[in-house]
Amino acid sequence: MPSDLTRLRNFCIIAHIDHGKSTLADRLLDLTHAVSERNMRAQYLDKMDLERERGITIKAQAVRLAYTAADRREYVLNLIDTPGHVDFTYEVSRALAACEGAVLLVDAAQGIEAQTLANLYLAVEADLAVIPVINKIDLPAAQPDRVAREIEQVLGVPAEEMLRVSAKTGEGVPELLEAVVHRVPPPKGDPDAPARALVFDSLYDPYRGVIAYLRMVDGRLARNDRVRMMAVGHVSEAEEVGAFAPEAVATQELRAGEVGYLIPGVKDVRQVRVGDTVTTAGRPAAEPLPGYREPRPMVYSGLYPIEGDDFPDLRDALDRLRLNDAALAYEPESSTALGFGFRCGFLGLLHMDIVRERLEREFDLALITTAPNVAYRVTLETGETIMVSNPSELPPAGSIQRIEEPYVAAMVLCPADYIGPVMDLCQGRRGELGTMEYLSEERVELRYQLPLGEIIFDFFDQLKSRTRGYASLDYEPSGYREADLVKVDLLLQGEPVDAFSAIVHKDKAYAYGRAMTSKLKRLIPRQLYEVPIQATIGAKVIARETIAARRKDVLAKCYGGDVTRKRKLLERQKEGKRRMKQIGRVEVPQEAFVAALRTDEG
Amino acid sequence: MTTVLASPAPAAPLLDPTCFGVYVHVPFCLTRCHYCDFVTYTGMEGLRGPYAAALLDEAAMAARALGPEPPVVTSVFVGGGTPTLLPPGDLARVLARLRALLPLAPDAEVTVEANPETVDQAVAGGLVEAGVTRVSMGAQSFDDRVLATLGRVHDAARVTAAVAALRAAGVPAVNLDLIYGGPGEDAGSWSATLAAAVALRPEHLSAYALTIEPATKFGRLVAAGRMAEPDEDQLADRYDTARAVLAGAGYGHYEISNWAALGPGEPADVLPAHASRHNLTYWRRGRYLGLGAGAHEFDGETRRWNLPGVPAYLKAVRAGRRPTEGQERLDPGQARFEALALRLRTADGLERAEARVLGVDPSGPNAAELREAGLLAPGPGLRLTERGMFLHGEVVARLA
Repeated sequence: MPSDLTRLRNFCIIAHIDHGKSTLADRLLDLTHAVSERNMRAQYLDKMDLERERGITIKAQAVRLAYTAADRREYVLNLIDTPGHVDFTYEVSRALAACEGAVLLVDAAQGIEAQTLANLYLAVEADLAVIPVINKIDLPAAQPDRVAREIEQVLGVPAEEMLRVSAKTGEGVPELLEAVVHRVPPPKGDPDAPARALVFDSLYDPYRGVIAYLRMVDGRLARNDRVRMMAVGHVSEAEEVGAFAPEAVATQELRAGEVGYLIPGVKDVRQVRVGDTVTTAGRPAAEPLPGYREPRPMVYSGLYPIEGDDFPDLRDALDRLRLNDAALAYEPESSTALGFGFRCGFLGLLHMDIVRERLEREFDLALITTAPNVAYRVTLETGETIMVSNPSELPPAGSIQRIEEPYVAAMVLCPADYIGPVMDLCQGRRGELGTMEYLSEERVELRYQLPLGEIIFDFFDQLKSRTRGYASLDYEPSGYREADLVKVDLLLQGEPVDAFSAIVHKDKAYAYGRAMTSKLKRLIPRQLYEVPIQATIGAKVIARETIAARRKDVLAKCYGGDVTRKRKLLERQKEGKRRMKQIGRVEVPQEAFVAALRTDEG
Repeated sequence: MTTVLASPAPAAPLLDPTCFGVYVHVPFCLTRCHYCDFVTYTGMEGLRGPYAAALLDEAAMAARALGPEPPVVTSVFVGGGTPTLLPPGDLARVLARLRALLPLAPDAEVTVEANPETVDQAVAGGLVEAGVTRVSMGAQSFDDRVLATLGRVHDAARVTAAVAALRAAGVPAVNLDLIYGGPGEDAGSWSATLAAAVALRPEHLSAYALTIEPATKFGRLVAAGRMAEPDEDQLADRYDTARAVLAGAGYGHYEISNWAALGPGEPADVLPAHASRHNLTYWRRGRYLGLGAGAHEFDGETRRWNLPGVPAYLKAVRAGRRPTEGQERLDPGQARFEALALRLRTADGLERAEARVLGVDPSGPNAAELREAGLLAPGPGLRLTERGMFLHGEVVARLA
């Protein structure tokens, strides 16, 4: 490894999902012979099965590439992979902070997408050198000239400075490596100053404990150093430091400018947080690196085991997941309808899906998830302010002075033809249009202020379906705003079903009430008695349906040859009854709750 | 006779020792009806003679197993299939063999099932000669359009003619089976069917809600989305109509799907004299032999059933074995559950002491709620109301 910083380049790739980032990373690994043929597999950097299946990158990864450039000198290129989803914007910003340059990868057929643009702005803010690259030029639908114009509009970079590649065929990729060497500046940093390293990612390994991904900014870190996490305050002894080439390789030390890993001998990722600064306990830095932030859940949902007996298993599973997911927050709660479970906080909807899928897949749990909601800031008449992340816990309307809800600044990129449908959708979700800007004649950037609660249901699906898949979305929190919000409760024969309580805007309360009452009427089987289903705001009924009393539940025939079979049918019916949830006198099958909580139907 | 039925030993709801039935299965039909999933086969003409012979042999084996002092047979039921498809004389031989092998009560009920298209004067005469006391006929409907959609080959006129033939031959009791809720039926055609059935003054009527079984033509149509499942409210409406019409015509509703003509002054709230003694044996958990392919039997503890296939049945009998396909011995909990489910089917229900033997508190909260909902009749025991009869499953699930 060259010892001087001038031969070092730290860079990342900014790209939209499916624009070919993982394929490009594979090609770079090929060209630098970082992975032997035997170990090469598609999308090398994506480690988790889930990532490979969904084709997205959840955890940032880093890899060191040894590259002999056209000038015959050897360079070390550290490629830092970044997550490509709006839920993980903070993680992206930390990965960018670990780099001096960014490859902006844009699909030649699709053009710039919202997340790419958002991440590009982050990169520009972080003062990174940006290398625009148009990918998939081998595709018949490729329009590299149009895409070049878009990039020019956004970045102000002349078209001739953009590279045109096909990560699939490898065309243009050698030129890209040269560009990284020549356009990305070498890292700066004081090798003799007290150690400061940025944690841009961390993960939990069952054998080694937490592994922190680091960018050394100043000084050096060596094995056996006493290391201190400056924000969290945790001190431990460095068991190992090293680089990824691409598998972890232990080294003597990490020096200013380098990218690598640290095994601090810690069992819990919450002690090694993304954005924190590592220093040495013996000679600590005076100031941490800027930009640390506690992970902040944006979306909440109740997770309940379908089988009540699985509650302890769910607790264990969450405890174990938290070992490598510092952003996952949860606390136990109980529901009359669903029994014991946890109220969980997530970075966003994808994060929620990933956690739920991992719980079901890796821990074999069958779960019910309540409809996702945001956290409301509620100011009581007493002047006290509380946060409410479970709608059923909203205090009575009379004791509330005001309710505020979280807003996001959203950016939608779409073809100009779809401006109308996109604006309709955003207005229907109480959006306020900020700016509208043409990136080219065909593509428009719309900026909206939207309540987060309005986009966590099916906003993205709606956006996609109204624009035939051409729109993309990115957003970031933009504070709280007061709104005319009410709590809608659902009552079965006068008994509230807490799992269905929702905080919604007053104008939408009736629609929600009608939708839920008719859905429940469809899903709940007829009972011994007529069962009224009501949606209420406080004491006021806003929607009502009635489930008629059951009239037939009988095996019409039962003779000598049927007794065994018919007895088994009745035994099964009795068993089914045992598994029903009792809401007052109403028996509700678990499946009805599950179906009613699904957001993708009716 | 009524004393035997209406006064069981009060603390023995698990087994009625006063009855002992013999069921004989004849698994042959001319065509298969669209709703039927019974053990029966079309064709197989060549096997009918050998089958009748095997029934004689199986009867002998079953009788031997009962030991030197077999119980007195209180009922025989030859069902199917279509028993009247057996070669002439074979049915009589089977009944005669049973009489020779087992003691038959002097007032024993001997029922044979028949389809209208197979009954004429000669057949009816033969049945009476063979000692048949009761003929149960699959009329199903008196609406020809409905009969066609059910896949029946007869028409309404044929039913009337068959009943006349049975009467003329001197058959003491006639039952008609009816089905409601089938495609093509409406409220009017069902009322008309009930009126036509009542006009023939059968001693007994069974009316069944159409049940879609998977392995039937209807089952396949429903699975393919080409036919709707019978609607709950519509079936309940039809049932209400049947209850009203039959009560008005002097029939006592003594089991969920069964009615018997009441004699002059006969009370409507006990089991009627014309109730099917053989079927009451099933509902009262009496013992019965089961002979023939797919037949089931119950010895008071174990339920046992025969191989359903005719060739396999013949092979086993020729080898000198009962052609057993399977059996299950009920544990005490299962037996109590079964007794509760069976005994609640009939209008007499369970005495207070009987309910307690089955582990159900007739004044407990579950029973009280069912009474309040109008599914159980007021009183110390457990008895379904008319509405409760059509919610039997719910009642059993709540009480058990």
